[in-house]
Amino acid sequence: MKWLASIKTGLAIAGIALTATTAVAQEPEEYRFVMVSHIGSNDPNMKWLTMAMEEFEKKYPNVTTEYVSSNQYSVQELVRLLDQTIASRPDGIAVPIVSRDALEGPIRRAIDSGIPVVAFNIPDSRPERERIPYMTYVGGDEYLTGYKTGQYAIEKAEAGEVPMPEHVVCAMIAAEHEGLRERCRGIEEAVAEVGATTEYLFTGADPATFRSNLQAYLSSHPESNYILNMGDFTAPWSWQVANELGMSPDVDDEGMTILAVGIGPIGLSGLKEGHLLVASEQGFWLQGYIPFEWLYWYHELGYEAQSDIITGPIMVDTTNIEKFDPLSKAVFGSGSEDSSAWQ
Amino acid sequence: MITLNTSAFARRPDFGAIVGVIMMFAVFSLIDFSGWWSGSTLGNILQFTAILGCMSIGQAIVIMAKEIDLSVGSVYGLTGIAFITLEADLGVPGAIIAAMAIAGGIGFLQAMAVIKGKIPSMIVTLGGLFAVRGLIYVWTGGSVRSLPAESRAHWLTQLFGGELFGIEAAILWTAGLMVVLSLVIWRMKFGNRLLATGGDENTALSQGIRTDRVKIRAFVLCSLLAGFAAILTLADKPQTHVTLGDLMELEAIAAAVIGGCLLSGGRGSLLGAVLGAFIITGVRYELISLGAPASWYISFVGLVLIVALIFNQSLIRWAGNRA
Repeated sequence: MKWLASIKTGLAIAGIALTATTAVAQEPEEYRFVMVSHIGSNDPNMKWLTMAMEEFEKKYPNVTTEYVSSNQYSVQELVRLLDQTIASRPDGIAVPIVSRDALEGPIRRAIDSGIPVVAFNIPDSRPERERIPYMTYVGGDEYLTGYKTGQYAIEKAEAGEVPMPEHVVCAMIAAEHEGLRERCRGIEEAVAEVGATTEYLFTGADPATFRSNLQAYLSSHPESNYILNMGDFTAPWSWQVANELGMSPDVDDEGMTILAVGIGPIGLSGLKEGHLLVASEQGFWLQGYIPFEWLYWYHELGYEAQSDIITGPIMVDTTNIEKFDPLSKAVFGSGSEDSSAWQ
Repeated sequence: MITLNTSAFARRPDFGAIVGVIMMFAVFSLIDFSGWWSGSTLGNILQFTAILGCMSIGQAIVIMAKEIDLSVGSVYGLTGIAFITLEADLGVPGAIIAAMAIAGGIGFLQAMAVIKGKIPSMIVTLGGLFAVRGLIYVWTGGSVRSLPAESRAHWLTQLFGGELFGIEAAILWTAGLMVVLSLVIWRMKFGNRLLATGGDENTALSQGIRTDRVKIRAFVLCSLLAGFAAILTLADKPQTHVTLGDLMELEAIAAAVIGGCLLSGGRGSLLGAVLGAFIITGVRYELISLGAPASWYISFVGLVLIVALIFNQSLIRWAGNRA
């Protein structure tokens, strides 16, 4: 009967092993994904990303997401944060390529050590064979943002709603930001198609300095009839300077026309009150969600995106503003009722 | 007799800045007469000079005491944000008092860290620069509202931000502060003690001067003036952002140095600091007007700073030899 006891013991062990294996197979894998960002708490757009990450965690409860950023725009600081993140061995990283030279080394190191990387918000603008070998890029296209904004202005001018662009001032709040230069290049090439010229004006980010620099330029270049702002928060400053110089900056068929990249309560109220022609949005919410989906599918199914995923620009104007009001309230705590900036 | 007077005038710490302003007027009048002398150009330059000059006066006082304050740009930002944010609960007078109290408090804390902690002011105020800027981000979450219409019409807002006798209030306030504080420095005991502390602290101590108290007053005054500059800015144009005061500390220091303040302490001029602010603002404005790539002006401010230092040093040596 010894053999019977052995069979019973064997069956029992096999049963326990099978049960354990089944239990392990049913337990989903835990992942930790980190977004290393240049968009800090000084930039309200951070909330688009963190809100999207919260939604992602609700849908994928076995994934923990983290958002790390610095408040000052600094390439060195971003590199330091990225190095720290790589050292913590996450299961995936999303990072903006604010400077390909500075970030190439750390990102290649992460990829070589088996950490998948998705670029978001700002891509490596080199041809695909030369660029940093991240999995994919999720975000707006800085050049396209400027280009489409220029095309939008030309379309509206052809419809007689605004003047045809003659000289565009691209108001750059940070001279070293590659993405801002790409936006300026985009609008420069778009308006060049109707014979207009573009000035890349470094305004600084401080409100008083911005106004002083812009006024200096507009006073001596009265032929300027469009200003492209790099954030909606500078649009009222541009509007006020142009207004003080008697350049008729409201949306009509004469004088100055104000454009903006980025949309929030200030931009929405500017659109509603006729101070701002259009503000482009780069699909920020999607940029906080899609990178993690691809990282997740990479781990679960081995999927890899075969092309970049462009989330913007989305042109926001008076025709679709009501769709952005609820989003604005969710992200910024206020919608287009915030008109104080334009007074 | 004339030679002696010239020599005495050349020994003034702000002589270099006065010559610089005269040269600037001459050069820009030659290059761009109609643009430079237009009302909007000089009005804009004077308006921004008033804001930067107010900060530079405070910086000059600290430099005279052989210290430095790198946090003024952030203090300027925080005071402005505090004014705008607290106005909803405290009203305009309450918000101004609270915002100025915050500015003064930061100056006092930094002074205590320098004096009691025996830490170089460059390190303490560099920490202050980042810490205060961080406070702005945490407090605002990245977005700042503007003053409502009724608060803009308040008499106190108009007093600091409107026009007085047809001139921008900020210009008159800065000019008034410069005159009053110059009198304090050149005619009152505090000025003597400040310059003595900055010139040679040990000698000042041996003569019974409480150098710690002098430095505390200098730091508090510097922060208060940076805060007041923010009130002047926002009372006039209340649309702002968390970037308020971004990098202004460097321009304030540059203005004080161009104006004749020696970083080794004991020598300086408040008029010079304001003229230094005028030179920086005027050069930047005119460079942009003349079509120079705008990003060049940062390099140009650096060049002006170096040239001014060499010029000031040469003047001191020349005046010394003449004497």
